[in-house]
Amino acid sequence: MSVPGERLVRALLALYPREFRARYAADMLDFYRERVRNDGMLRTWFAAVPDLVANALAERFAWLHHEAECAPVVARMHTRYREEHMSILVQDVRYALRSMRRRPSFTAVVLLTLALGIGANSAIFTVVNATILRPLPFADAARIVDFTHEDPYSSVSEPEFWDYERGVAGLEKLAAYSTPSIVLDGGDGDPLRTYTARVSRDFFDIVGVKPMLGRTFTPDEFSPSTHARVTVLGHRLWVQQFGADPRIIGKTVQITGTPFTVIGVMPAAFTFPDVEASLWTPWRMNPDSLWTRNNHYLRLVGRIAPSSSLAQVRAQVRTLDTRWMHDFPETYSPDKPLTGTVQPIADYLLGPTRPFLLALLGAVGLILLIASVNVANLLLVRGEARRKEVAIRAALGASRSRIMRQLMTESMLFAAFGALLGVAVAWVGTGVLVDLAPGDLPRIDQVSVDLRVVLFTIAITMLTGVAFGLLPALRMRRGDSADALRDGGKTSGHIASGAARRTLVVAEITLAVMILAGAGLLVRSLIQLRAMDLGFDPDGVMTLQVTLPRGKYNDTTAALFIDQLVSRTRSLPGVTSASAVDNLPISGSDNGWSIMIDGVVVKTIAEAPSARPEVVTPEYFRTMQTRMVRGRGFTPLDRAGAPFVAVVSEGLARTLWPGVDPIGHTLKMFGAQSPWTTIVGVVRDVKLRGLQKDIPGTMYFPYAQSGQSAYVTPTSMTLVARTNGDPTALAPQMRRIVRSLDGSAAISRVTPMRAVVGDSIASRRFTTLLLAGFAALALALAGIGIYGVVSYGVSQRTYEIGVRVAMGASAASIARLVMREAAGMTVIGLALGVAGALVADRLIRSMLVDVSAGDPLTLVSVVLLLAVVAATACALPARRAAAVNPTAALRND
Amino acid sequence: MTPESQTPLKPVELLILSMLSAGERHGYGIRQDIIDHTNGAIALEAGNLYRTIRRLEADAIVEESGRRAAADSDDERRRYYRLTPFGKRVLAAELERLRALVRLGEQRRIIAPLAARRA
Repeated sequence: MSVPGERLVRALLALYPREFRARYAADMLDFYRERVRNDGMLRTWFAAVPDLVANALAERFAWLHHEAECAPVVARMHTRYREEHMSILVQDVRYALRSMRRRPSFTAVVLLTLALGIGANSAIFTVVNATILRPLPFADAARIVDFTHEDPYSSVSEPEFWDYERGVAGLEKLAAYSTPSIVLDGGDGDPLRTYTARVSRDFFDIVGVKPMLGRTFTPDEFSPSTHARVTVLGHRLWVQQFGADPRIIGKTVQITGTPFTVIGVMPAAFTFPDVEASLWTPWRMNPDSLWTRNNHYLRLVGRIAPSSSLAQVRAQVRTLDTRWMHDFPETYSPDKPLTGTVQPIADYLLGPTRPFLLALLGAVGLILLIASVNVANLLLVRGEARRKEVAIRAALGASRSRIMRQLMTESMLFAAFGALLGVAVAWVGTGVLVDLAPGDLPRIDQVSVDLRVVLFTIAITMLTGVAFGLLPALRMRRGDSADALRDGGKTSGHIASGAARRTLVVAEITLAVMILAGAGLLVRSLIQLRAMDLGFDPDGVMTLQVTLPRGKYNDTTAALFIDQLVSRTRSLPGVTSASAVDNLPISGSDNGWSIMIDGVVVKTIAEAPSARPEVVTPEYFRTMQTRMVRGRGFTPLDRAGAPFVAVVSEGLARTLWPGVDPIGHTLKMFGAQSPWTTIVGVVRDVKLRGLQKDIPGTMYFPYAQSGQSAYVTPTSMTLVARTNGDPTALAPQMRRIVRSLDGSAAISRVTPMRAVVGDSIASRRFTTLLLAGFAALALALAGIGIYGVVSYGVSQRTYEIGVRVAMGASAASIARLVMREAAGMTVIGLALGVAGALVADRLIRSMLVDVSAGDPLTLVSVVLLLAVVAATACALPARRAAAVNPTAALRND
Repeated sequence: MTPESQTPLKPVELLILSMLSAGERHGYGIRQDIIDHTNGAIALEAGNLYRTIRRLEADAIVEESGRRAAADSDDERRRYYRLTPFGKRVLAAELERLRALVRLGEQRRIIAPLAARRA
């Protein structure tokens, strides 16, 4: 049986911690029902709502601090003293509510400003909280470290891992992993190309995360002699490929043609080392047959021993590296020092995102400041109008603290209502943010409002309330009541308060300049990136990755397959050219390999130059429209058995053969079996990994010869097709061609090349877009602030202006008078803002591309923009001042 | 844990425990008892009451005695609470503490001793 208001009580009960709710919510509802039946709806509500809210908060805090000591709110248990204070509070609140209602437009402007300020902050904080503040899904994450080598090694080789594991005493445990690509078969649908994390024995011990289903690997599953083929699935793969089958444990999946038994499923939050790695397999390291020391391909993760520290671990690693440089001169050249880098796992995982999000948080913080300043300004203006009222109250015996309290109550109430609206703004805003956010933002799928977000919102609300309420309240208190009463609160007093208002406007302009400058710099960086020469033309190109089942093809049949694939694609209507490539630009890798040049055999890796190999089929450069600088590209004649050829990038040619035409020179991959290849062409440099500045020198080998000239024939190639129509329209036909050639080939990453480029700057675009939005908001708020102050000044000075006009001042000189005052504030604000921007924008320096933090063009544009806004904002009041009718103005008293 | 370690109790806790010393009660019943006892001066609301019960349950002073159907409905079941043996000792310890205080007040002539009043 339900009684009125039950839904609302249920809603309030939702404020309590889950455990509390589970136990008591039903009883509390029952309590409420009985109470309503006996005492009636209104009386119950009056007492029940504050009680439920206050105790919910207290209970939340109690849970937080593991203590139950919180002030109980007991109706009528107050002492006389308390009662008095409560009734004053109630009085103040009622009074404030009444005065809010009396001036609806004023109230609306204030609330809207606060709602935008608080809402934007809460929304951004929600995202920041979920992505970088919430603890990582590891046990004792502070002790877990990421460990690798600096360039040019950029990863760790097997013997190095072996030695580190034994040589770094400060690490309790150390594990190595790599993420090779695989083809997964056995779930729903087509074979899936994905990545596995091949992890060494202590991996799951170090991260300390328990599987959601089943178990992780046992030590003997890492023994080199075992034949166990076991895998742990990632949560996403389990859901998407296996329909979240609860009986998955014990089932068999095919990983690149080999059967593996599923032994566990990890929880959704655990995606280490990579979101793309969708399952884990044991990597059995055999100490008797380690790969060579110069084969760097592992990354390490370790746990610092309780007795040790990060600094000690770093020192131990440095000692080992120095010793190895000395012990293995044939591997490490003195001009390419081996430097291990050990960083906390949080820095590794969240590091790249952090500056962007913190910049956003900083920007919304400034917005909130501007909003507070605006509201403070509005309250000051209104305070002037209320001077007389306050003076009367003071004359009637109200103490100063009492008046101050009343004014603070009012501003806190404004803040609270603003926060309520702000939460609505944040609700919508967070949804929009998550939709807009790029997929590579870590943990964006886990964004949600939690206790920390609620506390943050409450905290900023209180801060804002104090910030914008304090100054007006202090000003009011200082007013001399007798003075205010004598002149009717009209002329005197606002010289000082005018100064306070002008200071606030200056502050507002300063803050707006800072945000605008930051946004401007990021927008310019984005434009620079857009205009950047990629080395190829991404428009009109469709791409699709094909992975051949391992073992089914040899070099010859693979070449035949790729050849047929490309020629069938080429014959599709609208396709002007097609080809295939090992690593697509932008999303590719930039790992260098050691090579030898000009027929000279060197003995050690340390002496060998390095270059990045790339395997392509004929017509690749034409399809991507990468310009040939000299010589020729590959043709179908560059097949197996024909003379070995290579094409080099301009950058590589410049490094290896400075000032010389490289055509006719030779190079080969390091190692005795690799054949010497003759360079037949030079092409423009192509951006390989993101839009990075330095492009490693690249050498291209024809696919048909790659089994010999590039160590191995790649089993995974990306088909690229240029069309004069819409590239996405090609996707179904390209899929069909692959399917008809071999149904067991895996298809992945079907993306137009333009989107590959776009995705690589998605994070940046997201940040820039948001920051630009905030800058626009700041600009609008600053404009409103200037308008408010100038306009109020004019209305207060109507009498004075009337006198001036009566004395013969021209309309133009009156307008100038008003404008001059505004211009003064604006100039000071702009100057301070530029100074502030020069300091603050250093913080975003790492995000800037080809723009300096103090870029004059950006700063000048920002200053001009704000000057125009300021001029517009005071043009209206200036016109009104110029139109003052002296007769009316002087009579009006 | 000794009963003394749980004292002093908060006023609300003391009231609730005293009411429960008469036998088991459900939440609303506790409220009614307290209103009767204090002549309406103290009326607990749900949030405060259940939060206090949560604390008392966590400290094993109060426990659930079972569920019974509410008087006016067939399907709703409400929880009844009672003092645990330990809870009884806590209540006793608290009352002892208060008695000592009352004695002190009497000695210092803040309140008249019971004997004196009777006289």
